[in-house]
Amino acid sequence: MSKLTKAISKEEKNFLRRIFWRSQTLYAAVSPAKQGASGFCYSMMPCINHFYKDQEQKNQALTRSMSYFNTTIPLSTFLMGLVASMEKENSEKSEFDTNSINAVKSSLMGPLAGIGDSIFWGVLRVIAAGIAVSMGQSGNILAPIVFLILFNVPSILIRYYGTFLGYQLGSQYIQKIYSSGLMNILTKAASIVGLIMVGGMTAQMVSFTAKWSMSMKGETIMNLQDMLDQIFVGIIPLGITLLCYYLLKKKNVSINVLLIGIIVLSILLSALGIA
Amino acid sequence: MLEAFLVAFAVFICVGGAELAGFTMINRPIVIGPFVGLLLGDLQTGVTIGAALEAVFMGVVNIGGASAAEPGIATAVGTAFAISMGKGTEVALTLALPIGILGLQIKTILYIFVVGMFAKKFDKLAQEGRQKEITILHFGLWTVNWMLYSAVAFFGIFFGSGAVSKLLNMIPDVVMNGLTVCGGLLPAVGMAMLMKMLWDNKICVFFFLGFLCVAYLKLPLVALAVLGVIIAFVIGMNDYDMNQLSQLRPVAATADLNELDEEEEEFFNE
Repeated sequence: MSKLTKAISKEEKNFLRRIFWRSQTLYAAVSPAKQGASGFCYSMMPCINHFYKDQEQKNQALTRSMSYFNTTIPLSTFLMGLVASMEKENSEKSEFDTNSINAVKSSLMGPLAGIGDSIFWGVLRVIAAGIAVSMGQSGNILAPIVFLILFNVPSILIRYYGTFLGYQLGSQYIQKIYSSGLMNILTKAASIVGLIMVGGMTAQMVSFTAKWSMSMKGETIMNLQDMLDQIFVGIIPLGITLLCYYLLKKKNVSINVLLIGIIVLSILLSALGIA
Repeated sequence: MLEAFLVAFAVFICVGGAELAGFTMINRPIVIGPFVGLLLGDLQTGVTIGAALEAVFMGVVNIGGASAAEPGIATAVGTAFAISMGKGTEVALTLALPIGILGLQIKTILYIFVVGMFAKKFDKLAQEGRQKEITILHFGLWTVNWMLYSAVAFFGIFFGSGAVSKLLNMIPDVVMNGLTVCGGLLPAVGMAMLMKMLWDNKICVFFFLGFLCVAYLKLPLVALAVLGVIIAFVIGMNDYDMNQLSQLRPVAATADLNELDEEEEEFFNE
């Protein structure tokens, strides 16, 4: 990683590091209209103060950075680094078009949120939580610590080096990566890991045991759960999960309706003596 | 009183703290459950309940503001009730769901009417270049927002305890058994929400592969994660090669054409 930061001067490294620390508070004052705007502005202050000496220019840069901002947090510093590199260009060249700064920022935050959400929320968090939940279910008190380490070590490292990477690469290189289709490949690979994990967790976490059995002269002649297991292990959890997915995706049933539906179904099954 | 204060403290530190300190996931049930357990002196129950609720709320992430429930306050209050009444996971689950849904409504109200009101103020401060005021407002709004939110947890425990324990004693055994069944089935909703995010008809077979590996082969999740990464890597590399090829082809084709054109020209020139 030292290669990455070689061309960056010591002062620049210094304010990039401050951007990284300040970026932690990105959504402290998140609002419906502008999401993380105030956090973005707060994070960019060291950079703005570094490049602009004139108060009027500073005000303009602050106003620019106070615009709508929303992306997956671990990738936010990458965009901040990118914007910092453009602010630098702007401070050096008088003919630089300042509109391009926000144009690049807003055109990239959507796609970055798309890939970031599936990698960080959909895959990394799910893997970390999946492992921690299986520990926690057996009462292991290390579960929360394992969860936090598994999620945060990669995401904080990416956030830290992302600041430098964004600053180093500049905006043109990013657009090249986008047009080359590399992002789609990455998203697909991440989704594959995610789906495998969700499949595994469905088998492990969704559970159902039927209690119903038919007995004759005190001998059990038919046990519902054994029968179900012979058809396919975990057929009920799998079926219910797929049904929930179908209702959620295709029928637009709200999550709260699903939750209440499951509660009602469970009580019904219990009342009928099936489970 | 002390219990209500401790739970509110946990909500403030974990749910609010996550928003202040980089979404480090300290607002998830698997962390809050044990934390509340620790504060109330029953870490073991906290861990078990936290894990159970994490499985239910696994799919609940705040993406683009769309969510169903706020897992943080749900876990904190649910765990606290379960511990103080000496009950287990089912009770925590039953209570956590309505609290989580209510919590999200309150969070949204605060979000619109407290923080949202200051959007214009922020713009004005930025235009005037008043960095110090921006910083103060940025942190000030956080403090006010989450103080109010954790106050909800405080009053919920403070006034709700008596009513909740009476209510729980009224529930018949059949329903309690139903709630145990429910605890097993509810994670299905969380999984369905994750599937909605990741599902693509071209790659959905991998969901079934994952299911099979755990249901029949009894693979632990860590091993499954590694297996998944290997498969994704192979497929990703393959796609990358295909992508390179498809980009090369049109260039090569036009190059050939140019050559032909030149040859033709030379031919005609002669």
